[in-house]
Amino acid sequence: MSVEDTTPMSGPTIRIVGFLCNWCSYGGADTAGVCRFKQPTDLRIIRIPCTGRMDPLFVAKSLIYGADGVLVSGCHPRDCHYAVGNFYARRRLEVLKHFLPFMGIDEGRFQYTWVSASEGQRWQEVVTRFSEQIHALGPNPGVGFGDGGGLSDSRIGHLSAEGIHGPAAPPMTCGGKAANRAPDEPETRNQKPETRN
Amino acid sequence: MNELRKAIEAEWPRLEVVIGWGLGFDPYHTRPLFVRRSEDLSGLIWNPFCVQNLTGYLVKTPVVKAEDKAKKVGICVRGCDSRSLVALIQEKLVVRDQLLVFGIPCSGTVDWRRIAVQTPLSGVKSARFEGDLLLVEDNGGVRKFSPDQYLARRCLRCVHPNPIIHDVLVGEPVPPRAAPGNRYRDVESFEQQNLPDRLAFWQEELDRCIRCYACRNACPLCICQDRCIAETREPRWLTQRMGVPEKFLFHFIHALHLAGRCTECGECERVCPMEIPVTLMKEKLGRIVGDLMGYEAGIDPEATPPLLTFNPAETGI
Repeated sequence: MSVEDTTPMSGPTIRIVGFLCNWCSYGGADTAGVCRFKQPTDLRIIRIPCTGRMDPLFVAKSLIYGADGVLVSGCHPRDCHYAVGNFYARRRLEVLKHFLPFMGIDEGRFQYTWVSASEGQRWQEVVTRFSEQIHALGPNPGVGFGDGGGLSDSRIGHLSAEGIHGPAAPPMTCGGKAANRAPDEPETRNQKPETRN
Repeated sequence: MNELRKAIEAEWPRLEVVIGWGLGFDPYHTRPLFVRRSEDLSGLIWNPFCVQNLTGYLVKTPVVKAEDKAKKVGICVRGCDSRSLVALIQEKLVVRDQLLVFGIPCSGTVDWRRIAVQTPLSGVKSARFEGDLLLVEDNGGVRKFSPDQYLARRCLRCVHPNPIIHDVLVGEPVPPRAAPGNRYRDVESFEQQNLPDRLAFWQEELDRCIRCYACRNACPLCICQDRCIAETREPRWLTQRMGVPEKFLFHFIHALHLAGRCTECGECERVCPMEIPVTLMKEKLGRIVGDLMGYEAGIDPEATPPLLTFNPAETGI
């Protein structure tokens, strides 16, 4: 099958994390695929049993470590497979959405919505619009990396493989701030050329 | 003040243990005091140097409780502490009937670190109050501090100086220091900044964090203790790496686990050895929950914290 470029826009690689509920939105995304609706390819989908499983910290962690956007989608309120999971979820996620900008993280990088299994068309609209929004915001530098890079391959490697053996922590000065990494000090995890720019 | 001691002595036959404040390493610092024998009651004090929120001792290991079921645990609470106590009762972490609550109207506590930032002190010889003013004598002579200078930040924005719940009220109710519309002024002034400045602020502040978890340990509502996901290997949220992202995530964990529960008692900020304004995050969350769900934590013992429940009728959320 010949595949044309389905990325709606050219530009830097954008990685959006999608948390989809198993019963509605994952089915909705599947429906969209089966119907061959054209969708942007920036989304990486993680299937969760219910949006009630959705810990706001999943979103926080993704954005801190440089995911460019996070999309959460579940069953419409009152249609939850487990009756009430999304009622809990919407309160938690709404609080998070108001809290992110306080910490200096753009709330536009996070969205939650409701898509049922039959709404393939709606799924296409949601994901296209959100992808456009994230493209407009550009890559997310993450928090405290100081290199302007987003969720590059080297950083994913750093997250999973380096773990506790990662780069040594900067030395602490007593009663003061941790000495920042000297700008000219080589940083092994960023030696790979940025592929996205 | 002897009033508190007298009130506790009058109730002593019903009590097995009392949690209060005692003298610390000098007369201007206090420490928690656990009185189990009547002869130790004389060690109890109450003054504006009593800064600790004692309610955490009711839920954290080793839990202070009465072995004799006929007797109760006495606990001294100020206005802010009483809200923590209400939150613990709401979540059924303590049993109200097993407590005898000594409520103390509080007109603010002293924050020595705030004083030291404004005026470096050396060799404090004495500290006393004259009306509202705090008079401190050190090597440089006697210095006067107004309430705006010596009160802790949490006290400057205090709207509940009088205990919400109490069995015995010690002293006369006092007026709140901050008007209700003024309680989030620190949050509001912080929000004057744009997004990159806010991020820069938190990156700089949280960079100092040494992840000692003192904020978590002092928090009366952080009750996971050794199951805290900041330290568990499974699930493994945080690594041992001391980078800003890990520190950021830790504070997100702490703040979001307290969303809708935190009573903004300010203990996390008081105990922070790196002087990071961590309570500011919880104040913001308190405000969000108040705006979205019309809820104020630690007021009604019968209420359920909003994020532990739901309302199908809600729209726009």
